[in-house]
Amino acid sequence: MGKITLYGVDASPPVRACKLTLAALGLPYDFVVVNLMEREHLSEAYLKKNPQHTVPMLEDDGACIWDSHAIICYLVSKYAKDDSLYPKDLLKRAVVDQRLYFESGVVFANALRSVTAGLIRGIKVVPKERIQAIVEVYEFLETFLKDNDYIAGDHLTIADFSVVSTVSSLPVIVEIDAAKYVKLTAWIKRLEKLPYYSENSVGVQQFFGLIKNLGMTVEA
Amino acid sequence: MGKLTLYGFDPSPPVRPVKLALAALQVPYDFIEVNVIKREQLSEEYLKKNPQHTVPMLEDGEACIWDSHAIMAYLVSKYGKDDSLYPKDPLQRAIVDQRLYFESGVVYADAIRRTNTYVFTTKVLPKERLEAIVEVYNLMESFLMKHDYIAGDHLTIADFSLISSISSLVAYVEIDSSKWKKLSAWIKRMEKLPYYSENAIGAEQFIALVKNTNFTVEA
Repeated sequence: MGKITLYGVDASPPVRACKLTLAALGLPYDFVVVNLMEREHLSEAYLKKNPQHTVPMLEDDGACIWDSHAIICYLVSKYAKDDSLYPKDLLKRAVVDQRLYFESGVVFANALRSVTAGLIRGIKVVPKERIQAIVEVYEFLETFLKDNDYIAGDHLTIADFSVVSTVSSLPVIVEIDAAKYVKLTAWIKRLEKLPYYSENSVGVQQFFGLIKNLGMTVEA
Repeated sequence: MGKLTLYGFDPSPPVRPVKLALAALQVPYDFIEVNVIKREQLSEEYLKKNPQHTVPMLEDGEACIWDSHAIMAYLVSKYGKDDSLYPKDPLQRAIVDQRLYFESGVVYADAIRRTNTYVFTTKVLPKERLEAIVEVYNLMESFLMKHDYIAGDHLTIADFSLISSISSLVAYVEIDSSKWKKLSAWIKRMEKLPYYSENAIGAEQFIALVKNTNFTVEA
């Protein structure tokens, strides 16, 4: 096995999805910090590896792979002892895939990044429609969890890692009402029991701190 | 083979990649229109099949699958004669996957869907939306720097996903072929596909819907 290096920062939700997956697979790796606030992702060296200049990025024996979802699918396909984290059965896989793309579009791009991108540009007040986008996420997840203990069915998959990394970060903007989102709250508690959950929780606190430091407030 | 039914609406960008994939795989299917402008995706019947109430959705026998990218991956895996449209090799697949997730997040959720929301409701588009679209074109140009297709040297479902979005985004920002050489060449390459009408017809409908709003751009 060649050397695995993960590039990123702990505060970033997609980076944490990769860390959870690497821990679940028991894979050793080097972690290289890419300080986004110092624009290290825009360095010539980083752009050569990843022209989209995002984190996380995985280097496996010289090959550069990015997008957290692509990375975690790759890791399971290449290194897992079995396919439980990313089932090979076509219908089961289609459900995991749908949850991963849901995370990518509806959760990360529309609910989270739309807010953080605004904050970085100096828009400190989060408009109502961005709040609504987050509430929409909680509503959908409550529905997906209606008959399942895990986000894509009855057992843990990489979709849980992807979704929880972002959903555990959103409460700094909109809290999760435990009385209203019963299944969602229970699912988060279930994942918090994973022995390697600190791979996510440490970064969540850093993300919360970052958002507060950027002076975020919510439109009344 | 069970009966395949695709639920969708031609102007909708995510529906057209699935139509391209079905045509490429030469798999027969029924098409049932779900008019999202009339909010037909919110019917009780549709919600039972797809609680996320989006199009496209694929019914294969009794199974309901949604999200265009998940559908295409499923179709190639189940019906493809080989894996060229969605390579099985983990590293090759990771590149195709990254392009698909790029389409899902940066292109569709951000550049298309958020822009559509302004255009079809307030009809005033913030300038920053046009910048987001230009950024998409710039990234596409960089992905195509060394390759003829979006994920490498041959056609994959990532090309289907992205040609639908790009051919829709031109409703907002034209593609200057002197500025985006590789992107323009790739679009022309895709237009030559024998089944390209599966995208072209709906793309024209989308562009017409956008133009009919008479939206303005915030100064």
